[in-house]
Amino acid sequence: MLEDLRKLGGVEWEIPIGYTPHMKVPGKFFLSDRLAAEVDEGAIQQLANVATMPGIVKYALAMPDIHWGYGFPIGGVAAFSLDNGVISPGGVGFDINCGVRLVTTPLREEDFDNRRELIERLFRAVPTGVGARTSHKLSISELEKVLIEGASWAVEHGYGMREDLVHCEQGGRMEEADTAHVSEKAIQRGIPQCGTLGSGNHFLEIQAAREILDAEAAETFGIAEGQICMMIHCGSRGLGHQVCTDHLKTLESSTKKYQIDLPDRQLACAPLQSKEGEAYFAAMAAAANYAWANRQMIMHNARNVFTELYGIDYEEMKLIYDVAHNVAKFEEHLVDEKRVELCVHRKGATRAFGPDRPEVPREFRAIGQPVIIPGSMGTSSYLLKGTRTAMEKSFGSTCHGAGRVLSRTKAKKQFKGATLKKELSEKHIVIRAASNAVIAEEAPGAYKPSDEVVRVVDEAGLSRVVARLEPLGVIKG
Amino acid sequence: MPFTELEHTADILVRVSASSLEHLFAESANAMFSFMHEQREGRSVMRKLSLEAADMDALLHDFLSELLFMAEVDNLVFSDIEVSISGPTLQATVYGELFDPDVHAGGTEIKGISYYGLHIREDQDHRYRVEILFDV
Repeated sequence: MLEDLRKLGGVEWEIPIGYTPHMKVPGKFFLSDRLAAEVDEGAIQQLANVATMPGIVKYALAMPDIHWGYGFPIGGVAAFSLDNGVISPGGVGFDINCGVRLVTTPLREEDFDNRRELIERLFRAVPTGVGARTSHKLSISELEKVLIEGASWAVEHGYGMREDLVHCEQGGRMEEADTAHVSEKAIQRGIPQCGTLGSGNHFLEIQAAREILDAEAAETFGIAEGQICMMIHCGSRGLGHQVCTDHLKTLESSTKKYQIDLPDRQLACAPLQSKEGEAYFAAMAAAANYAWANRQMIMHNARNVFTELYGIDYEEMKLIYDVAHNVAKFEEHLVDEKRVELCVHRKGATRAFGPDRPEVPREFRAIGQPVIIPGSMGTSSYLLKGTRTAMEKSFGSTCHGAGRVLSRTKAKKQFKGATLKKELSEKHIVIRAASNAVIAEEAPGAYKPSDEVVRVVDEAGLSRVVARLEPLGVIKG
Repeated sequence: MPFTELEHTADILVRVSASSLEHLFAESANAMFSFMHEQREGRSVMRKLSLEAADMDALLHDFLSELLFMAEVDNLVFSDIEVSISGPTLQATVYGELFDPDVHAGGTEIKGISYYGLHIREDQDHRYRVEILFDV
């Protein structure tokens, strides 16, 4: 299947220029033989298509969790020149700033009790699933502040601590946000959902740090073996989806207006320096800010549950880091030994900046940025660190997890929610979901395990594993 | 069954079939809401909407998007959908009730309707068919 492609050695593959007409740069992706055997050919073609886009720099890249997506493959990374490059919603995804955060607690596994009660209380404290609404209903003007201020809006309104902000990618706020480009519809959708988890593969999970593979980095990040942690995975909800839909419409016509020749309509884009491109970027940044505020509010509500149930201090629950895995950002990278500012699109890919980058919090700067890779229900999640190799090879990017392999229909046929619940319970994992159907649809067997994907990014040096975390309990919509 | 679910790895893909455009639109909306809520019976709330679009494909897309928007923002669960279409204009009356977690929770959240592949066809037997991809 990958005959026309060149294996550069190890886990690196190249799509040579010419694989598809008008490629401006080669494509590059990272796969082990095992992952290569089952890779979706359509996703490789999508990556080659990305390489034809104007102003693309160095490579069209894909991480080992590459699979078919809207326009760009999921797991895709592409950097564009500010002079003649473009911005494309397909390179960001519908769930703008879908992301993950990891929080530690002072609890240790050996004295962690009341697990069932904890999960039940978390399920009540965090609005979850279809129809769930926030308890903090915002006015339109207040929501607009969320869109501009991101996680700091949440902290200023009592949802968390100032130090949380330092531990969010981009400080939990993109300053390019402008609400003038966010439709009224998007704002209306955002009002009832700010502080809600949603459904699908989003979750809040209680985990134990099971294996420490890099003692120095683990100590710096503040995580120890046996420590009870909490992971939150969600994004910008209906608001982000609406922003993407609205701007796709505009950008489809601007593709024609600016005479951009594309092999796939789903790659709709506009020059970075055009009013349509700037409008999408400003709206996307606003949706990204909403997602950071959303995760901040969810974390706060969950911290309160821990405080009430275990009597631990709120301040003792530290946010290690919050990463975005669907976003485009302006970043400085080395190209032909010159530092240049680029617009880096990451879609189902995580920023993984190495040591000494000013964007990494001061206390982590000698180590590299924390990277969080969630597992699926019942499987391991990982904490990694960014590397200098990632800066050279992938614009400081790594994988984001692993995608679905089974459709919801197949998953529901193969798995029964009640049986899964029992099986997980035998492994001492407590699950609380809105229904058994949700559990069946999100069965671990419906997803590729993250383990192999993480092993490949570690081998390629795009990030290095610091710790493996195992689930103890999870809430899902 | 007026609709069938087709295989799709990431999202929900359905094929809807009906004897008229009006039924096709109503059944498409029923398909969408059936994934979100297993039970839909209440009729205590009534809403009307009127839409216009360049063609039938765009009209169906906008109709479903509008219903989804109303349900999400006003916290409603729609159970009964009546549609009339005249030229490029659609009029609809929808009945439903306020979302009640004890009755309506536990479904799959649909976030939007994809433009991708949404194309209404009229078969030789005068049945209308469409495939719709719901983003989850």
